[in-house]
Amino acid sequence: MTPDHRSPANGHRSPAARRRRQGYLFCLPGLVLLALFLAYPLFYNLWTSVHEVQLSTLLGGPQRFNGLANYRAVVSDPGFWHSVRLSVVFTLGSLLFQFTLGFALALLFARPFPLNGLLRSLLLIAWLLPPVVSGTLFRWLLDAESGAYNALLRAVGLDTLTHDWLTDPGTALAGVMFANIWVGVPFNMLLLLVGLHTIDPELYEAAAIDGAGAWQRFRRITLPLMRPVSVTVLLLGLIYTFKVFDTIFVMTGGGPVDATRVLSLYVYEVFFAFFRFGRGSAAGVLLLVVPLLAGALYVHRLRKETVEGGPA
Amino acid sequence: MRPPRHPWLLTLLAGVTTAVFLLPVYWMAKTGLTEPDRILTPSPQWVPTPLTGENFDTALGYEGLTRALLNSLVIAGGVVALTLLLGLPLGYALARVRMRGSGTMVFALLVAQLPPAIVLAAPLFILERRAGLDDTYLGLIAADTTLTLPFTVIVLRPVLRAFPPELEEAALVDGCGLPGVLLRVVLPLTVPGVVAAAGLSFLLAWGEFLFGLTLAGDSDVQPVTVLLNAFIGQHGTAWGALMATATLISLPVVCVFALFQRFIVGGLTAGGVRG
Repeated sequence: MTPDHRSPANGHRSPAARRRRQGYLFCLPGLVLLALFLAYPLFYNLWTSVHEVQLSTLLGGPQRFNGLANYRAVVSDPGFWHSVRLSVVFTLGSLLFQFTLGFALALLFARPFPLNGLLRSLLLIAWLLPPVVSGTLFRWLLDAESGAYNALLRAVGLDTLTHDWLTDPGTALAGVMFANIWVGVPFNMLLLLVGLHTIDPELYEAAAIDGAGAWQRFRRITLPLMRPVSVTVLLLGLIYTFKVFDTIFVMTGGGPVDATRVLSLYVYEVFFAFFRFGRGSAAGVLLLVVPLLAGALYVHRLRKETVEGGPA
Repeated sequence: MRPPRHPWLLTLLAGVTTAVFLLPVYWMAKTGLTEPDRILTPSPQWVPTPLTGENFDTALGYEGLTRALLNSLVIAGGVVALTLLLGLPLGYALARVRMRGSGTMVFALLVAQLPPAIVLAAPLFILERRAGLDDTYLGLIAADTTLTLPFTVIVLRPVLRAFPPELEEAALVDGCGLPGVLLRVVLPLTVPGVVAAAGLSFLLAWGEFLFGLTLAGDSDVQPVTVLLNAFIGQHGTAWGALMATATLISLPVVCVFALFQRFIVGGLTAGGVRG
C-alpha cells in the first residue's frame, strides 16, 4: 500500500500540487465506471433485499419496504440450506484436489528440464478456456453412452465402473467438481511454482550435505517455507471456487433434481427463473458473506506481507 | 535446485502428465473432426479417420453463430479498449502520484474483485433495464469491465512502479504534464505489462457468460458463450457440431495466449484475484 504522506515540497510546491491534481483526474474515469456499474448495483441489491419487488413493479411503481421478510423467507427455505451444504462440499472438495495436484505439478516443474516452459504453458490452457467451453466439454466427456471416460473404463475392462455421471443425483456433484478441479489445477500450480522459486537453493544443498533424504528435505524445508504462499493460494481458491457459476450451470443447470444447485445457482434461480427479486437479492447478500470474509483475511495477509517484506 | 541427473526423464514424466491432463482438449478437437455417425459409439475412435470438416460446416450453418462470434469480438474488443483507457491512468496514478486516499483506492480495487458475478448480475439486470442499457453492447462492455478493470490495475500497478522514476522526473521538469509522461515516457517502456493486461482482459471478456446470459440473453448482441449454452439444450446430442463450436470459441483464446504467453504468465503471477 502507498504510504499517504505529502511529497517533500522543497521548492517545487506548485508542480507537486499540479501533479497531485492530475493524479486525481487520472483516477476519476475508472472510479466513476466502477461506482456506476459495481458499487451502485451492489448497494441497490441491498436496497432490493429489504423491499418487495415484483415483475410488475420492476421498472417502477410502488416497491414496499418489507424489512427482513426476504431474509426470513430465504433462511427458512430448506432449498437454501441444501445449497449451502452443496457449496461447502463443492468448495472444499475442489480446493483439496486442485491444491494437492497443483502442488505436485509445481514440485515437478520447479526442476529444470528441457521443454519445461512449453509444457507448463500448455497446462495453462485448461485454466484459460472459457468456463462455458470446459463445461460443455466435460458434459460430453462424462456422457453416459459415448463419453470418453466411460469409453476409457470399458477399454481397460472396468465396465462395472461406467456410469451416467451427470444425470445420477448421487454422482452429479462429483462430476462438476471433477471439471472444476481440472480447471483450477494449472492456476494453483502456477502460483505455487512462484513460491517454490523463492526458496533459497542453498538450503537444500546444506541439508543434502548433512545427509537429509529427499522426503526429509521436503518435510523440513519445502513444506514450512511454502506455508505462507499456500495459505494465500488456498484463500484465493476459496474466494473464486465459492462463486463458480458458469461451469455448473452449463453442465447440469443445478440438477438432476437439485443435486448441484450450489448457492450461486440458487440465487440465479430465485432471481431469474422465479422472478422473486427481493428474495433473490437477499440470498445474494448472504452469498457475499464468505468471499468477503476470505477477502478480509487475504487483504490482511497482503498488508502484513508488504509491511514485513518491504514494498510490494 | 541442483540440475537433475536425467533431465530428459523429467521431460518425459512432465510430457506424459501434460498429455493426460490435456486429454479433454484433445477430445474436444477430435470430436469436432470426427464423422457425425462415428461419434456416438460405445467405443469411440482415438484417432478419427477420415478427418472431416462436416461438424464445422453444421456449426457454422446454425443460425446466429457467426453473428454471436462477431458479437463476442466486439464486446471483448470494447472491454480491452475501455479497460486500458481507464486502467492505465488509474494504475499509473496509484503507482506514482502521492495522493491522499490512494491506499483506500487500492483497497477498494481488491474488494471490488470479491463479489460473485451473480450478485452483480441481479441488480444490473434491473438497473440496465431501467436505463435502457440491457441488450446493448455498451451495457455488456460496461458490466464486463467491472471484472477486468480492478484486476488490470492491480496487475499494472507493480509494473508501473518498477519503472525507474528518474526519466519521468526529467520529463516533468521539462514541462511535460502527467498525461505526456504517461504516453510518451512510461507507456513505451512498459509495453509487456500493458500487453499482458490487454491479453488477460480479452480472455476474461471473451469467456464471460453470466452477464451475457442475463443482460443480453436472446438479443442481437448475445455473445457466443451464451449461444453455445443454448445449443446444448436445442441440439443436445449433436456433439460433433457442439464440439466444433467449442473449438471455434477456444481458438482465439489459444491464439491470444500463444502470442502473448510470456507476458500473460507474468501478469497472472503478479497477483490479483480473478473475477
